[in-house]
Amino acid sequence: MISLLLAIAVGSLFACGTYLIMRRGQIKLILGLALLSHGVNLLLFGSGRLIEGRPPIFLNKTDYAETIKLNLPADPLPQALILTAIVISFGITAFVIVLVNRRHTVTQTDYVHGEFVPLLREGDPFDFSESTEIDQYDWLAYEVDEVYDSEELLTGFPTLPPSEQDESTAMEEDRYRWP
Amino acid sequence: MAMSANLLAVPVAAPLLTAALILLFARWGGRTLIRHQIALTALALCINLAVAVLLFRGAAGQGQQFVLQLGAWPAPFGITIYGDGLSATLLLLTALVALAVYPFAVATIDYHRARMGFHPLYLFLLMGVNGAFLAGDLFNLYVFFEVLLMASFVLLTIGAQPAQTNSGIRYVVLNLLASTVFLVAAGIAYGTLGTLNFAQIAERLPLASPAVRTVFAGLLLVGFGSKAAIFPLFFWLPASYHTPPPAVTALFGGLLTKVGVYTLFRSFTLFFPELLLSWQPALLTIAGATMLVGALGALAQPGIRRVLSFHIISHVGFMLMGLAVALSGNSLAIGFGLGAAIIYLCHHMIIKTALIMAGGAVELHMGSDRLASIGGLVSRQPFLAFLFFMAAISLAGVPPFSGFVSKLSLLQITLDTRHWVVAGVSVFASLLTMMNMMRLWRESFWGDYSRPSRVPSRILQSGVRQKLILTPVAVLVLLSLALGIWGEPAFRLSMQVAQQALDRQAYIEAVSPSAQISTLPAGHLTVPAESVSTNSPDGLSNAAARTPLVSR
Repeated sequence: MISLLLAIAVGSLFACGTYLIMRRGQIKLILGLALLSHGVNLLLFGSGRLIEGRPPIFLNKTDYAETIKLNLPADPLPQALILTAIVISFGITAFVIVLVNRRHTVTQTDYVHGEFVPLLREGDPFDFSESTEIDQYDWLAYEVDEVYDSEELLTGFPTLPPSEQDESTAMEEDRYRWP
Repeated sequence: MAMSANLLAVPVAAPLLTAALILLFARWGGRTLIRHQIALTALALCINLAVAVLLFRGAAGQGQQFVLQLGAWPAPFGITIYGDGLSATLLLLTALVALAVYPFAVATIDYHRARMGFHPLYLFLLMGVNGAFLAGDLFNLYVFFEVLLMASFVLLTIGAQPAQTNSGIRYVVLNLLASTVFLVAAGIAYGTLGTLNFAQIAERLPLASPAVRTVFAGLLLVGFGSKAAIFPLFFWLPASYHTPPPAVTALFGGLLTKVGVYTLFRSFTLFFPELLLSWQPALLTIAGATMLVGALGALAQPGIRRVLSFHIISHVGFMLMGLAVALSGNSLAIGFGLGAAIIYLCHHMIIKTALIMAGGAVELHMGSDRLASIGGLVSRQPFLAFLFFMAAISLAGVPPFSGFVSKLSLLQITLDTRHWVVAGVSVFASLLTMMNMMRLWRESFWGDYSRPSRVPSRILQSGVRQKLILTPVAVLVLLSLALGIWGEPAFRLSMQVAQQALDRQAYIEAVSPSAQISTLPAGHLTVPAESVSTNSPDGLSNAAARTPLVSR
């Protein structure tokens, strides 16, 4: 009975998570990922068999051999697996939140066309002496000037062909209709 | 027993400890400390390469298997680290790729990204990849997957440019879904088979019901296939690989999908060799579709890195084709397909990294990788043009290079086993690859010299930086040439590796998960009574390398 309940819970968590991930909103995306990881954790929990009243730790050291022989102890491994999975999904959720927040900041505030040129440092790459002009080499200056495809950007907004205008491009151009 | 199995810990421990050291002592500070970071990282990469060479000599050259039971706990209870020829080959290639990309990264990663922790992240990524190649049970494989995913998330979005964050979200979500599917597979394995150890799963799986086998295999195919970017699951790759700095793309293109390919090879040969025959039509269809979609998609792409990232997908299809025909063919050719796939994997890792680095150099010179707006670099950078050309024809499979040997052997086994359609598709995909490579080279090196970006080109003109960018590309191209010229010994070696990988019994005996407990039919979680008292008399649990039995 309880395992049926657990199966239903796992299934509905997966269903809700999948549904939320397929929505457009980014908060829903985070929630969907969280629900999916909960579903997996419950599934791992169920993989250790749901049986009442079996101790994973023996307080009485004398008859533990008999307990093992009767196949009585509970399985402590799924809990350990879940703990690891929870820690990992916690870290990843934190990362995704930061990522979504960053994207939100970028798309909501300023319209930033391009990408940083990956090469910002000049001179000898092994020469990190503090006193050269490298220090005055302002990396922010590149943000405006050294963007990719500048021949398109010089005339204002980039006009990509419609095939390349996906959702994110629309977001960057403030034409996106938020759901 | 020439070497201790303790060497297996080094490819994981060396990057981890060095990265920890960097984060502890060289994290906050100016350029002096970044120079220390670079020195430490280079040291760790060299140690990693040396150990990988030793392991490769032992495992692939002499056919040893290395088993390390951490803390001397016997197999199903402790953490098993396992290295055989397949793992050692991939470790060696990973070490080569990581060491080759690093000078390029040093030359092209800017100070601010270095301050954000690029160098320790590089090591963490390497640690995750190495650990995934060595893991001997499902859950540790999951953990190492997550380590490399976390490092790759941050490397992909380091600098947090808008394009990077956009692509980062797609990459993160799709890879997390794949990890979730894989974790579900691990849970099902534990629930039905009562174990997570690879060897014990392989031991118990033939006793399990066909439904369990099918579900387990399907979940693993989806989870690993999504990491390997096979046909319906590849969308995270072309959406993200063109946005990070070129050094990161070169590292990803060389390493990340190959982890998925390796786990597919490992799981299908170890767990379900019979499914390689019964699922062969499905696997071949996926392989053909992957090849075709990758090559056709590359044809439509406007930029160098986008084209190359679609070609990664196409090549994963070739490797999957080799896996699908691994067990078919006449009895003399058992393992021929897998051997061909392994040598294709080597060729792909070497030359794809070289090509992405060369493309990245073009991008840095031009300030853009959009093919329509660049051109005419051949007069300014003749050596780069030469290297790019050599790498491109090697990727396309022109004879003196490794691409020819690997494609020829794959085609041979596919034709031998009478899979005409997929063989035809692979030839067509190779033709498209050739067209694409010629398009890339022509658009970026011929024509009028035009630089769309105003990046001051003097920052690229320093001699040291030129050497740092071009030397690794040249080394990798030479490696590819060597692999092509000495194709026969290389192929014989990879056949040995493939037969070792296909020998399930040797794996099970090397790890010996049931030496301590009796094996009961699947479906029960059992701890027999005498598990503590009766240690196995033959001492199978010692952490020493053991020579395998003769292959079938």
